[in-house]
Amino acid sequence: MTTEFKKGTVCLTAFCLAMIAACSQPQQQQQAGATLKQMPAGKDYSGFLSSYANLKPNPDFENTMSYVNPDKEKNIHQYFAVIIEPVQLYVSTDADVSKFPDRGRTALAAYFEHAITDAVDDAFAPVTEPGPLVLRLRTALVGVDVGGETGGAKDKDDPTLNRMVNIGKVGVEMELVDSVTGEQIAAAVDRENLGAGAEIGSANFSRDEKFEAAREAFDGWASRLRRFLDSAHELSKEDAAHADASYHPYGEPVAAKK
Amino acid sequence: MRILAITALALPFVGALFADDEVSTFRAYVDSDLCARLMLGPISPARMECSQKTFKDGSNPVLVRLQNNLVVTVNKEKLIRPLVGQLASVSGELKVKDGTMKLATADAIKADSVPANDPDRRLLDPQKNKANPELYEKIRHELAMMPYIGYFDFISFTLNGGDVILTGWTVRQINPNDARNAVKNIKGVESVVNNIDLLPLGSNDMRIRAAALAAMRLQLSMYFWGAGSDIKIIVKNGNIILLGRVIRQADSDIAFIRCNSIPGVFKVFNMLQVQPGA
Repeated sequence: MTTEFKKGTVCLTAFCLAMIAACSQPQQQQQAGATLKQMPAGKDYSGFLSSYANLKPNPDFENTMSYVNPDKEKNIHQYFAVIIEPVQLYVSTDADVSKFPDRGRTALAAYFEHAITDAVDDAFAPVTEPGPLVLRLRTALVGVDVGGETGGAKDKDDPTLNRMVNIGKVGVEMELVDSVTGEQIAAAVDRENLGAGAEIGSANFSRDEKFEAAREAFDGWASRLRRFLDSAHELSKEDAAHADASYHPYGEPVAAKK
Repeated sequence: MRILAITALALPFVGALFADDEVSTFRAYVDSDLCARLMLGPISPARMECSQKTFKDGSNPVLVRLQNNLVVTVNKEKLIRPLVGQLASVSGELKVKDGTMKLATADAIKADSVPANDPDRRLLDPQKNKANPELYEKIRHELAMMPYIGYFDFISFTLNGGDVILTGWTVRQINPNDARNAVKNIKGVESVVNNIDLLPLGSNDMRIRAAALAAMRLQLSMYFWGAGSDIKIIVKNGNIILLGRVIRQADSDIAFIRCNSIPGVFKVFNMLQVQPGA
């Protein structure tokens, strides 16, 4: 009886360990996740967006090209939830990818993803399952560069990166696509140049006072993304007239009826 | 001695736990849950009709306390089922915080049994607290212009003097705040109570929303325009509430039938108003 019990316990423990190992594997992959790609030589865009064909300069946002799908049945108004995909990084054409600090790209992508989520979640609820009313938000930071050496980390707990990450010439490419069909619903390319000195030298840059400028830049991009979504949601003259005419609260007093 | 000390120490905590509870008797309107959230405010003939219709269709009965519009769900629904659409004097243990009540008694009363100057009369005598039509229109217009109101949101309001009560349902977290901000600074508005319900985004409800929209667009596409719709589809826990206005009874019937044929839908409450020329 005791032997059987022991055998059972061993089997159960082995099974649990196997399950834990199986579950933790994808997470490790995800942590290493922020894939690094290189900007194609001689191109204005990274190739990240599903289409650049419809982008036009946006008069409300300096240095921004954008597109909002005008199709009545596929416009942004009918979606109210979003799957926020991990941020992708594109290093500049002449950067040496092998020198790009791993912890730097993970920290950069994670911070920006968090900033984006914070900026949009009250208007588009973040969800994980695709569906007809759900958008997929794809974002890439393009033109990230490898900076100078920092002297490196003193020990394994030291968050200092081996090299600086230069974000002085970074742009943002983003698109919202239908999570089921992949059709582009809105897109924007933001090319605000931060200039020299915008660098990150620590994996903990989100808590380090030295890198406030970088944080402000990411928060700024996230906030511009939100303003872009708000502007895409503004009612056209025709829609405003329709909305005004069709809105009647229940039990409204007769005198107020139009 | 030790027991006494422990009891003395524990008493304030126990007291705090039950601080919201009241054993009380009060006057209430017996409503359906749906109408209580849609038409909070004066007890008008239209509201009584709404209460009885939606209760018959399956919406649970609730109490609306006349004194302060508090919506209360009760443990013994069978006591108030026969009273839907009427006034009642109820007694029991009320938990204000949860909006629940352990009901002991519920007896029908007549409206004229409520004394003239009693605060409970406010909702019974809407003529006295008649809304200022201009103020009403300003509020209505501001709410109509909210950019994040889509096919799956409906915000209603009641104006009583200068007090605005916002009700309704939304799938976006931003809308309750936007609605409050839209009306709070309008001249003449004295207070805003926000009872807008944020809808859950569970996968079954999401599937039902998508199916209902697709089904209605097939035959009723005229009611769905660029940024919004005349028909609003509210989905909560597998139930659909259809709101808004259509121009033909047939359109209302089509919407109802279409929604009823969606797999996984428990109930469809058809609150569409038919108004030719709407």
